[in-house]
Amino acid sequence: MLFKVFPRNELETLYDVLAGHHLVGPQARGKDQADQEIFAFDYIHSFAELRLDFTSTVHSLKRFLLPPREILSSFNLDNSGWEKHIDLGIYKPHVFFGLHPCDINALNKLDKVLTGPVYPDPFYTGKRKNMFIVGVNCSPQPWCFCKSMGTDTVLSGFDMFLTDMGDKYFVEIQSATAYDILMKLPIAQPTEGDHRRFVELMDERNSKFTCQVDNSDLTKILDLEFQSPVWKEWGKKCMSCGTCASVCPTCYCYGVKEYVDLDLTTATKQRQLYSCNLIDFAMVSGGHNFRPDSSSRLKYRYYHKHRGFQEAYEEALCVGCGRCGQACLSGITVPDVIDSVRRQEVPK
Amino acid sequence: MNKLDFVDVLPAQQSSTRKSDLTSFEYSYKAEITNVYGLTDTEKLYQIRIINSDQRHQFTFKPGQFVMLELPGIGEGPFSISSSPTRHGDLELCIRAVGNLTNFLGRVPRGTLVGITGPFGTSFPVEEMENSDLLLIAGGLGIVPLRAPLFSILENRSRYKQIDIIYGARNPSELLFTYQYQMWRQFDINLKIIVDQADATWQGPVGLITEILKERIEAAGNDLSRNTYAIVCGPPVMFHFVCDMLINAQLPMQKIFVSLERRMHCGRGKCCRCNIGATYTCLSGPVFDYWSVLNMKEAI
Amino acid sequence: MQKTKTYLGVEIKRPRTAFFELSSCEGCQLQILNKEASLLNFLDLLDIVNFREAMSNGSNDYEIAFVEGSVTRADEEERLLKIRRQAKTLVALGSCACFGGVNQLKNRFHDLEWVKKEVYGDHSIETQEVRPLSDFIAVDLSIYGCPIKKEEVEEIVTNLVLGKSIDHPRYPVCMECTANGNICLFNLGEPCLGPITRAGCDAWCPNNRMGCWGCRGPADEANLSQLQEIMDSHGIPRQAMLDRLECFGGFTSAIKKMDE
Repeated sequence: MLFKVFPRNELETLYDVLAGHHLVGPQARGKDQADQEIFAFDYIHSFAELRLDFTSTVHSLKRFLLPPREILSSFNLDNSGWEKHIDLGIYKPHVFFGLHPCDINALNKLDKVLTGPVYPDPFYTGKRKNMFIVGVNCSPQPWCFCKSMGTDTVLSGFDMFLTDMGDKYFVEIQSATAYDILMKLPIAQPTEGDHRRFVELMDERNSKFTCQVDNSDLTKILDLEFQSPVWKEWGKKCMSCGTCASVCPTCYCYGVKEYVDLDLTTATKQRQLYSCNLIDFAMVSGGHNFRPDSSSRLKYRYYHKHRGFQEAYEEALCVGCGRCGQACLSGITVPDVIDSVRRQEVPK
Repeated sequence: MNKLDFVDVLPAQQSSTRKSDLTSFEYSYKAEITNVYGLTDTEKLYQIRIINSDQRHQFTFKPGQFVMLELPGIGEGPFSISSSPTRHGDLELCIRAVGNLTNFLGRVPRGTLVGITGPFGTSFPVEEMENSDLLLIAGGLGIVPLRAPLFSILENRSRYKQIDIIYGARNPSELLFTYQYQMWRQFDINLKIIVDQADATWQGPVGLITEILKERIEAAGNDLSRNTYAIVCGPPVMFHFVCDMLINAQLPMQKIFVSLERRMHCGRGKCCRCNIGATYTCLSGPVFDYWSVLNMKEAI
Repeated sequence: MQKTKTYLGVEIKRPRTAFFELSSCEGCQLQILNKEASLLNFLDLLDIVNFREAMSNGSNDYEIAFVEGSVTRADEEERLLKIRRQAKTLVALGSCACFGGVNQLKNRFHDLEWVKKEVYGDHSIETQEVRPLSDFIAVDLSIYGCPIKKEEVEEIVTNLVLGKSIDHPRYPVCMECTANGNICLFNLGEPCLGPITRAGCDAWCPNNRMGCWGCRGPADEANLSQLQEIMDSHGIPRQAMLDRLECFGGFTSAIKKMDE
């Protein structure tokens, strides 16, 4: 990997170079009840809107890659039959400016399922291959447990990665395009002092993580405690509303449904991102439901993320961003659930 | 200012994602419903032929695999192929009218075009089963996924030893493929049929499938440990009883194969709707050996 | 005469359709007539033979009846029974027909005589406790919402005409609200029934920063007791939650169950 530094006030130049494209980044969205700023990923139209100092966003950037609803194919029908049309929906490269390590790691995890060798999904792959990612280091929040998930740092899946060092930015460069773009800025080779300052900053950041999850032997524990009563307790709290999956940067489950237009000559096949917590997730035609109660659905969610994915890819389908716990009205958080399964006790 | 180059993923040389895989994701074969036979009040046998003759001949599948059948605007669903693999893209699907797609399918006339994708999923290892006794056990609709391996086996009958089909249904009117029983028997197959409730015409045994299985196991001296394979298809309650009996008769669990059914929305290991525990039924299944089933929480 | 339509070779008939209203604001029927861009296609699917708000000279020979409003008088009960006898498919249109709607707020007052006096003074009228259609007759299909959402009606009517089953979302509004990228209204200090209300409205109110009032009634297995805890933890008084739950009548039986 190549490293460079550039003066802090040149960030706007970098923005200007990239701003000719669709540019998505963190921006402020007002304040919540506790007077904390709320952030969201959205299209950025001026440098002032871009808030690289954001804490974390309520929603992940998933909707830019896996929209809540997406048309997979459309049909024209007439008396002689039908024609199917497929539009992958990739038109313009997008720049994502200001992704934290967890969010880039989330994309890397999604890639394993959606761009892998087994039936790669062209809708996702197309958007993913047309992304330019500028990562940025974060300051750990009280709900972040990425360190436990091994996703607090990111090694691949981005073009360049910025760390704020006060008077300058430290850049890790991962792609030739990123290097070409940085050539427009007065970049310099980092000095010995810069190296030390970078390491110091990383140490400082590391010391700020407070939230943890004990993942040791988790796949076995989840199997052992499959019938555990703690799942029932969590099930009582769960609203089966799907918010956790909606805000999750790694949830990709979906449902497919077909629609006929009013004139009966056109139709579409659409996918809707779904959540395994929704009541009819495992319902089959005829009405049988393989997971009729909220506890079995919530359990399945943990099973998929922390056991099944682990088994398939040797990593969990969770980046520890804590969004699900923050968004859950019932306060169901990953650290609490995993801890309770270990200790066989649900916190009141 | 340099513009980011737009990457057209389809022609792009991707090491991990081949062009053909990406373009085929939503591609479906156009196929025509050539014939429909009513089997019972709710089940029909659809003969479906892939229209393009090259595609039809190149369409190969293994017994136990399934296809996704799509009616534009109505829906898409997984159906196990119940015709012989040697028939290629001349498919037979036995479909019960239970939902949106299957009910509408029952209304469309012969000649209607449907979309077919696949084949998907795992299959019954019929070659591995050669030179052995076979126990084919089906309850209710379970006879449907069993029919494709049965065809394969019949076409190579001499390669197998004793073959028993044990088939149970709720009542005689729900028995499927009645017109083929005579043919099966001509292939030296020991076909035993049992129903839960007899009607006026029924002369065969009445009761549960396990009763027939018990007789068969006793005839084998309560020992199936050598040279026997079993295929079990049917409702979840049946799996428990039947597989337990087979294991008690010392049939190794890696020689017991089952076909599980879940609702699939994609068939391609993406949507997660068919997951059991965290196993994709569409990729790792629908055919599993019993050892894998025991290892999946919430499987049966 | 129009030539018959087909879909995938299946003949699609235009069903003779009638629209009726009982006690209601007739806003749902007005919604039917909205959305001009697709109105002609919509009308092309149905052979509308009776629609007081849109046409004169209604016929009483119909297969599908859309009934808006709730039953508040004895003569409405009679009319409803008559419609039921004629219609092959009876559709409850909107929250009033499905649950009693805003009208049923009257039922909160146990002394109906006092209510009459308060509202109508000396001009007394005949009125009874407000009840949804399903209290009197079998309803084949419900279209939820106050008012109904035209996009949803279009989809439902298309499916009805095609003979496809009508599958309402079983999950709550949160799913659609989060899909729209909204910030949860609880975080902004406003109560919301989104977590327990049936989706299908595309989170119409929360999209506009207004908490859900539950006009579409409960989602499948709505978790009311947990919502109560959530309201408590956000310092929202029980009465504020009850006001919302009672507003459209969809939660009447759920409230009873919660109180037990």
